Amino acid sequence: MERLSFSFARKPELAYISHLDMMRLLLRALRRSGLPIAYSQGYNPHPRLTLALPLPLGVTATEEYGEVYFSESVGPQIFLEKLHRQLPPALELTGVFNRKPELPALAAEVSAAQYRVFIETYINQGLFFQDLNSAIISLLDKEEILMERINKKKKVTYKNIRPYIFKANLKQEEKNMLELGLLLKAGSSGGVSPFFVIEQLQQAGSALKLAEDGLWLVHRQKLYKGPEEALQPLSEGM
Amino acid sequence: MPVDENKLKRILNKVQKPARYIGNEWNVCLKDHDQVRLKMAFAFPDLYEVGMSNQGLKILYDSVNRNPQLLMERVFAPAADMENLLRENGLPLFALESRESLADFDVVGFSLQYELSYTNVINMLDLSGIPLYSDIRDNHDPLVIGGGPCVYNPEPLAPYFDFFVIGEAEEVLPEILSEIALLKAKGLNKRDLLVELSTRDGIYVPSLYQPVYDKGILQGLKKLESRAPDLIKKRYIEDLDRTPYPTAPVISYIETIHDRAVVELFRGCARGCRFCQAGYTFKPVRRRSQDSVIDTAKQLIAATGYDEIALSSLSSTDYPGLELLISQLDSALPGGSVKCSLPSLRLDSYSVKLADQLHHGRRSSLTFAPEAATERLRGVIKKNISEEDIFAALKDAVNAGWQGFKLYFMIGLPTERDEDVEAIPELCRRIRQYFKKREGRSLKISVSVSTFVPKAHTPFQWEPQLTVEQVVRRQEILKKGFSNLPGVDYSWHDAETSMLEAVFARGDRRLAPVVERAWQLGCRFDGWSEHFSFKKWKKAFQDIKIDPESYAYRHFKYDQSLPWDHIDCGVSKEVFISEHHKAVYIDGGEGGANGTFEL
Repeated sequence: MERLSFSFARKPELAYISHLDMMRLLLRALRRSGLPIAYSQGYNPHPRLTLALPLPLGVTATEEYGEVYFSESVGPQIFLEKLHRQLPPALELTGVFNRKPELPALAAEVSAAQYRVFIETYINQGLFFQDLNSAIISLLDKEEILMERINKKKKVTYKNIRPYIFKANLKQEEKNMLELGLLLKAGSSGGVSPFFVIEQLQQAGSALKLAEDGLWLVHRQKLYKGPEEALQPLSEGM
Repeated sequence: MPVDENKLKRILNKVQKPARYIGNEWNVCLKDHDQVRLKMAFAFPDLYEVGMSNQGLKILYDSVNRNPQLLMERVFAPAADMENLLRENGLPLFALESRESLADFDVVGFSLQYELSYTNVINMLDLSGIPLYSDIRDNHDPLVIGGGPCVYNPEPLAPYFDFFVIGEAEEVLPEILSEIALLKAKGLNKRDLLVELSTRDGIYVPSLYQPVYDKGILQGLKKLESRAPDLIKKRYIEDLDRTPYPTAPVISYIETIHDRAVVELFRGCARGCRFCQAGYTFKPVRRRSQDSVIDTAKQLIAATGYDEIALSSLSSTDYPGLELLISQLDSALPGGSVKCSLPSLRLDSYSVKLADQLHHGRRSSLTFAPEAATERLRGVIKKNISEEDIFAALKDAVNAGWQGFKLYFMIGLPTERDEDVEAIPELCRRIRQYFKKREGRSLKISVSVSTFVPKAHTPFQWEPQLTVEQVVRRQEILKKGFSNLPGVDYSWHDAETSMLEAVFARGDRRLAPVVERAWQLGCRFDGWSEHFSFKKWKKAFQDIKIDPESYAYRHFKYDQSLPWDHIDCGVSKEVFISEHHKAVYIDGGEGGANGTFEL
C-alpha cells in the first residue's frame, strides 16, 4: 500500500463545479490513468481518495491538497506524469509527496483556510470601499454571529460562528477591483463557508447594494493546520 | 462572435448548476471555425444533464466531428434562471464549445425525443435570435433541422423546420452536411437547396408539401414541387459493426441522468409490442457482434474512466449468448472496478438469472414492466408473459436476495376494462401474499402507472386516448385498490400531461401555431411536472381555436389519411392494420377500445 498526497490549483474555467463533481473528475482521471488505486474493505468498497477540504462551487484555488492510496507502489514521478495527462488544463497538479502511513488523514489536519475575494465594483468604488469596510469592522465587533443549521434530527439549531472568523480585511487592488481577505476556521472540527461571511457583509452594507453592485469572485489561497494562535501551512511536514 | 466573457461570468455566478453552461468537458471536440466548411449546432431541447445522457447526441457528435471539414457543437435548453439572465443581459443562447451564438451556425439541429419538449425548441430559437418560421428565414439564417423519434410524425412542427432527418442519422447527417456546404458554395438559394436535398432518402422538406383538408378532415399532402418524393423513406444503418461508434464520448462534470458508458448490443426489437413506436420504427433487428461489443467496451472504459457500462438496446436480454458475453466482458475489463448493467429486464427467469450474474453488493430492487395486469390485456399489447412466468421470475429474484420490485404498468390500453385496472393492485397483493406465506418475506413493491399514448407507426395509431375524465376515474380505482395495500408504493402520471402528449403524437400541421402560442404564454419544460401548466396550454388552444380533445380522443378509420402517411418507417400500413385487427378482435376477445371502435 502506498500513500501519496498531492497539491493542485483550480483555475476559473473549472470554478463552477461542486466538491462531488471534483471527486468524480479525479476518480475518473485516476481510472483512465491506469494507476492502481486502492479500494476500502467492506460491503461497498470505495476508492481511497480524499481531498483535504471540499472546495465550494464557484471558488478557484492556488494550493489545494488531496491524498490517495495505491495497492502497489507508484512513486511521485509516475503519479504526476500519468495523472497529469488525464486532467483538464484548468486543474493543474503542482506537487506530489510520499505521505507517511502514520500521519493523520489530511482532512483531519486542516484547521483554517485563507480566502481572497476579488470584487469588481460596477459603480462608485470609493463609496463601495467605505461601505464594505465599515461592514467588516462592525462584523468583527460583534460578539455573536448566529448561523442557522439543520441537524440530523432535522431541527433548526444555531451556531455562533464569530470565533470562526480569524481575520477579515479589505484593500484596494486596482481601479474597480477590491480584495477582501478572509482567514476562516475550517475542517472537521467546525468551520464557516466564505459565502456565509460574504453574505453577512453584503447585507450589512448601508449605502450600496453590495451584492448587486459588484462581481464577487472567491479564491482560496492556502490551507492551514494547527491551532489559531500557531497556524502552519498544511504543506508543512507533508 | 463568442458571447461577452465578462457578462457571462456575472451570470454564471448567479445561476443554479452553472456547470451546465461551461462546456470544456473531458473528450470535448474543439475545432477552429475558420478551418471547417460547415458548422452545425446540435440542440437538445431539455436540460444539459438530460441531453448529455442521450445516446443519439453522442453518436452524431462523433460521426460529424470525425469529418475534419465539418464541425458539431452542443447546446441545451437553459433552465428558467439562465434564460432570464440571458434575456436581461442581452446575451444570445450559445453553443458550449465556442460560445458562439446559435445564429452564427450554418445548421441548427434539434433532437426531438419527446413531444413535451416542443416549447423549448421555440424558446431556444428565440433566445438565439433565429426567426421561428422556415419561410421567414433566408439564406443567411441557419438551416433549422430536426431528428429523433418525434419526426415519425413531424407535422405539428413542420412550419418551424427546414427539413427533418427520418430514421438513424449517423450516416446521412455527415453526408447531407457536406452536401449543404457544397451547394452553398455553389450559391444555391435556400429553396433550390432544399429541393435538391429532398431527393435524398431520409430527408423530409415540409415546405415542399401542403396539407389538403376537406371539412376540416385531412385528405393528404399536395406536393408543391415535382422532384420531392411522395414517400420519405427512413434511413438506417445496415451493419452496426462497420459503423463508427463513439468510444470517447464527452463526459460531463455534473452528474447526468444516466452517468455511465453505454455500448449498444443491437438496434430494433423482435418482440413487436403493439404500443411501442421504437419497436416498429427501429426495424429490422441488427446486432453488434460479441467481439465488437467487447472491443467497444474496452475502448469506452479506457477513454472515459466510467465504473459502469450499460449494455443497451430495446430488449437487451434478447441478445443471443448474453451470458457468455457478460462473463467475457468481466474478464476483459479492469478487474473488479467496472460493473455491467442491463437497462431493461424482461419479466422472466432468464433475465433474473442475468441480473444475478451482474449484480454484486446490495440488492435493493429489480425493475420490470409487465405493462398490463391481466393475461388478456397483455395479449392485446403482445407482451406475452404468463402469470406463471411472472411468479417464477419473481421467486428466482427473491431467492437470489432481492428485497423488492419496481413494476411499471399502463392504463388506457385499447380494449381495457375496469377489471384490467382492478387487476393491477390485485396482482401486487397476490405477489406480496405469496412471498409472505411461502418465504416469510415482506417485499417492498413500488408501482408506477402511466397513461397509454397512441403513437404514429404502431398498430394502435388509429386508437383514441382515454379522456382525462376516464383516466382520472381509473386512477381512482387504483388509488382505492392500493390504499389498503401496505408496503406497496403507488405513483401515477398526470392525466393532462399524457393528453397533451397524445395531441402532438398524432397531430397535424394545424397544431404548429399552438406551440408558439403556448411558448408566448410562458410554457417551457412541459415534461417536468413542476413546470407543466395545463391552464396555459388550454388558453393556447383556445386562442388558436383548436380543440385538443378532438386530437387526443379521435379514432382514425383505416382508410382515412393519417398526418404521417408520407413518412415511410419501413412497415406497411397493411401490417399495422392486421396487427391492430388481431389485437382488438382476436387477442382482445371482443372489439375495440371502450367498446366503441368501429372500422
